[in-house]
Amino acid sequence: MTCTARFGQNAKSRVAPSNVLITYPDTMSFAGIEERPSKKRRFFVEDENPGDATLSAAPTLPDEINVQSYVEPSDSGLNSRQSHDPGQKGISDERDDSNFQSDVFDVDLFTSIVGENVSDTIVTKLQQMCGNDVQRAINVFFDGSWKTASLTPQQPVSAPNSISATSNRSEADIQNTRPTSQGRSPSANSSRPQKLSTAVIPEKRYLGALGVTGWATRSGSGLIRHEEKVGIERAKPRIEANGTLKGFRSKLATSKRQDIVVRFTNSQGSEVGRLENESAAWISTLLDQHTCTFEGTVVFAPDRIRTNDTIYLQLRCYALKNAFEAGGLIKPLDKNRQTGLYEARETEDERNLRLRQVALVKLFDEINLHPTRVNETTERHKRQGLLQSAETDEHKEQQNQQGSGQSPNHGESSPPSEEAEEGAQLEQDQLDTLYKKAQSFDFNTPEREPAETFAMDLRKYQRQALHWMVGKEKEEKSDYKEMSMHPLWEEYLWPVKDVDSKELPEFPSQSSFYVNPYSGELSLDFPVQEQNCLGGILADEMGLGKTIEMLSLIHTHKSEAMETLAESSVASVNNLPRLPKTSSSVEWAPCTTLVIAPMSLLAQWQSEAEKASKTGTLKTLVYYGSDKSANLQNLCCEANVASAPNVVITSYGVVLSEYNQVAANGGQRGSSGGLFSLNYFRIILDEAHHVKNRQAKTAKACYELSARHRWVLTGTPIVNRLEDLFSLVHFLRVEPWSNFSFWKTFITVPFESNDFIRALDVVQTVLEPLVLRRTKDMKTPEGEALVPLPPRTIDIESVELSKQEREVYDYVFARAKRTFAANVEAGTVMKSYTTIFAQILRLRQSCCHPSLTRNKSIVAEEEDAAAAADVANGLADDMDLQSLIARFESSTVDEDANKFGAHVLKQIQDEATLECPICSEEPMQEQAVTGCWHSACKSCLLDYIEHQASKGELPRCFNCREPINARDVFEVVRHNDDDGYASSTSSNAQDDQSSTPPPRISLRRTGTGSSSAKITSLLTHLTQLRRSAPFTKSVVFSQFTSFLDLLEPALRRSRIRYLRFDGGMAQKQRAAVLSEFAAERRKGGCVLLLSLRAGGVGLNLTCATRVFMMDPWWSWAVEAQAIDRVHRMGQEEEVRVVRFVVRESIEEKMLRIQERKKFM
Amino acid sequence: MALPKRIVKETERLMAEPVPGISAVPHEDNLRYFDVTVEGPSQSPYEGGIFKLELFLPDDYPMTPPKIRFLTKIYHPNIDKLGRICLDVLKSNWSPALQIRTILLSIQALLGAPNPDDPLANDVAQHWKENQNAAIQTAREWTQQYAKPQ
Repeated sequence: MTCTARFGQNAKSRVAPSNVLITYPDTMSFAGIEERPSKKRRFFVEDENPGDATLSAAPTLPDEINVQSYVEPSDSGLNSRQSHDPGQKGISDERDDSNFQSDVFDVDLFTSIVGENVSDTIVTKLQQMCGNDVQRAINVFFDGSWKTASLTPQQPVSAPNSISATSNRSEADIQNTRPTSQGRSPSANSSRPQKLSTAVIPEKRYLGALGVTGWATRSGSGLIRHEEKVGIERAKPRIEANGTLKGFRSKLATSKRQDIVVRFTNSQGSEVGRLENESAAWISTLLDQHTCTFEGTVVFAPDRIRTNDTIYLQLRCYALKNAFEAGGLIKPLDKNRQTGLYEARETEDERNLRLRQVALVKLFDEINLHPTRVNETTERHKRQGLLQSAETDEHKEQQNQQGSGQSPNHGESSPPSEEAEEGAQLEQDQLDTLYKKAQSFDFNTPEREPAETFAMDLRKYQRQALHWMVGKEKEEKSDYKEMSMHPLWEEYLWPVKDVDSKELPEFPSQSSFYVNPYSGELSLDFPVQEQNCLGGILADEMGLGKTIEMLSLIHTHKSEAMETLAESSVASVNNLPRLPKTSSSVEWAPCTTLVIAPMSLLAQWQSEAEKASKTGTLKTLVYYGSDKSANLQNLCCEANVASAPNVVITSYGVVLSEYNQVAANGGQRGSSGGLFSLNYFRIILDEAHHVKNRQAKTAKACYELSARHRWVLTGTPIVNRLEDLFSLVHFLRVEPWSNFSFWKTFITVPFESNDFIRALDVVQTVLEPLVLRRTKDMKTPEGEALVPLPPRTIDIESVELSKQEREVYDYVFARAKRTFAANVEAGTVMKSYTTIFAQILRLRQSCCHPSLTRNKSIVAEEEDAAAAADVANGLADDMDLQSLIARFESSTVDEDANKFGAHVLKQIQDEATLECPICSEEPMQEQAVTGCWHSACKSCLLDYIEHQASKGELPRCFNCREPINARDVFEVVRHNDDDGYASSTSSNAQDDQSSTPPPRISLRRTGTGSSSAKITSLLTHLTQLRRSAPFTKSVVFSQFTSFLDLLEPALRRSRIRYLRFDGGMAQKQRAAVLSEFAAERRKGGCVLLLSLRAGGVGLNLTCATRVFMMDPWWSWAVEAQAIDRVHRMGQEEEVRVVRFVVRESIEEKMLRIQERKKFM
Repeated sequence: MALPKRIVKETERLMAEPVPGISAVPHEDNLRYFDVTVEGPSQSPYEGGIFKLELFLPDDYPMTPPKIRFLTKIYHPNIDKLGRICLDVLKSNWSPALQIRTILLSIQALLGAPNPDDPLANDVAQHWKENQNAAIQTAREWTQQYAKPQ
């Protein structure tokens, strides 16, 4: 057993009487109050009594600690006294503090061991450095570090001791209460209450036994015998000469190198050999971190030992008491703020944590102790992943260290491959359960009626949501859920018999202990899964009415201040508005719910809030733009409860800009009177995936807002990565998940090492108590849909690029490939990924329209030149039919042809429904005519030209066999009578007046540069739609606003009415566009052009029934969001979605990426 | 693959308004495969004969012409022993604006106007050129022998 009392530098000569009662304050700073036992420790013990190895907790039994670091009973009555080291908590570097000390600094002992005369000054210095710890002094002396060491305290930090049962100290005075070195965090608040008195915890308790091999470092005969007890200890490689001292690592040596040497000594205390590296790697950690102690027995040793002989040992492992005590205190440091800067770096803490994790996991494997209870995931999965993740870090570390020429020589072992295979087999099962769990929603959850002031009727599932949310806010334990064990912990039973089948002492009410293999924590108390966050994630799919559910919560659960206000009479003096007082502190706003939503949704929130409330029961304030002048603090503070707005609606942008202001003001929250000057009753983040990036400033700003209840609304909690979820959880302040290193260890690392199932399973456990999610396709037990929505069909339309477009695409593709190859060659792929992204973006743009990728002015010039050439030929791109006819009629040359031409044109004009001669469609689909005036469907005509060209023939007219040219094919554009654009351009208006009766028809050259394959496909759909269902409204999404720019003229040419909504528009303008689109009733329909980013979320566009997705996005979730603008509650008709995807292009690959992401 | 609208329409029309002297009936199991009969035109050596042909519409019809072959033996300079037909509109002069109906009419016309200058069956064409009357006589005999309705 390790005895680990330590001294601070100032603890030079404190003397404590034996058997003194030592109290262990809960605080960190108690440097001056320790007392030391006066008796010195006996270092050499001849008499070993294995039977007493398991030390009982008998209060009178003193402990004798021999150099081999295990506990021996002793009749000498000399007690080693335990002391707590002064809290040098600032120093958190990992230390080997397995040295132990005597009570006073015994110079004689020191010199006798050192074996030489040491000058007094050196002794004094050593004494100062090491306190009264002779052993440390000896070690320091031998390793020479005293020469260089300054007098800074040598002691590593120990975590505060939370044990309050001070009365037990005296009887337990033999105990080592020094916390393990895992306790580095200054955050001393225990997450788990200490329920068991430590008094009944034995000093150490038998865990199990294992066999190890060691090798001799000495030669000689009779050094060690069969059945002989050996001591297991840590040693410093440099102290080769003196094996009798326990090694410790000086502060100077901790730097990078991990020393894992574990020695074993014979009963005389002299070193015989070392353990094999493989086991030494983890045993050293357990020893160093004071988690366990080991007692060895020789199983086999040759009579005459030569150096490097193998010696077989059996080790008995004992868990130390303090391992359990410290466990409750451990909490990784909150590193969230620093992740941006130091993300790549692994702190010393994390490294220790990792070492301990690995050590514990290996220990339990070795001694074959299996958990009796684990949470959901099998423990093997956990462990396996733990080792893996530790190894991953190990590799990183090694790589980092290669520069310094040192590499740790431990932890190389990898999980056996067969185990990995087993894991793979389990995957499908795991996946199934995960999905089942994710989809299961208890339809028998209690419901709750909203408050009377709420004006809308809720559906059943919405009432259930309300019940759940009110429960979360009031933190009522849901009674139908049992107390569950913390997902990361495992339960183990204490062994009742040791390896020789001897009965072990039993301890009442302690039959089991708990291990967190992730953090390496041990505990005797049942780890409860707790959620201390008074809010949650409402992740119902879009269209299920999250806003309404939230508003019902606002009405139903109000703060006490609100309740009292409602009871008291309105006329009371107290309720009159008070003079504003400027407070520099953050004021409590008991009546106010802050809603943060994307800008486009502000108006919608306000109108929904008004619709959902009975008149006068809810005051809303949109805090945005010019309306921002109000001093929120005055409005909402407690004094002005009566007049305070109940709902303040603002945008993420406002939060960010105010956050920057506050930051610029040196963190003065209150004085600004803005958003940050209040502590709200509730905060709601709408469309919370806006803050999915925890490093984004907006997200950070949101984290800083204070409120009692925090809610997050999102239809897609995970957009791209599991970290998206972390940001939400962090905002909600859910312990311990809001800690990024915690999150990283348990979720990110396993996920990145392809252990999807395990990561997802943990995610699932995190989410389960936090999240309420219902999907639209959920069915009640009666088989009814949650919300009856009309069907939705999604078609993927493959678009074939025209030859010219394909050339552009191939060119961009080849260039991207070259750049990538060049980067690969130069080894700069990771550095230049932005360039690569830019290239990919180019590719995607060229799928939409080649000119998106090109310099705008060049394109314009080229088009001008082409137009000029056409004018010279007499065939303009957009010929007005009337003038053509006039030209033909007035023409005298070649009369037959002209007559025919005029006839055809008249026929077109009279809308003679001709059958397409090629496909027999009647009427033709997008009638087109050749230069020789023979008409057919546009696509048939172009197909035929293409067909002939592909056979190497000269394209000829299908009818008269005249040679024709794809460029000389003209589309017939019919201008509808009630077309809104007819009057919009002045030239058209004149035409209308002059020739009102016949509908205007014009011919437009197809395949001209102004159009692209995608635009053409879209126009085909829209014109068809106009014919078949003239009142249909459509929504067109593209992520490139520049593509929307190109769509506009195309729509205008086809005389299709359109509106546009994108991120560049001001809030008022957006609202105007949306209301105009909703109000549009005219024949011919209307198209709303939306940018995916600005319009993809939140909006309600149920007045449309067609959705066109011009370009795929990397994540299907984003597209689904956009589609659900239309396909959501309130939609009464079938929704048809067309997604345009260019064949054999990057877009098809993107679809595959989407498929992969759907798995998450 | 669904049958293109064009083929459906053509078939319907062939049924509804049949061309005198020509019939084309699609197979039930393959609607692109037609059994065709063509009556020999009057005042031709083939008069009185009913000639069976098979007609198949390939996948890219009407971009490519139908494939047509005589099943009945016929003595004609532009039709070979295997029943293959040498006709420009079935080859280079095909246009998607042509239809089954028009093609069959062309074939019927070909029977009435053999063109030995652009032969497919060289021996027949030779015969035709050297001794037209004898050739026509042979054609008549063949018609009597092979193309008589049962």
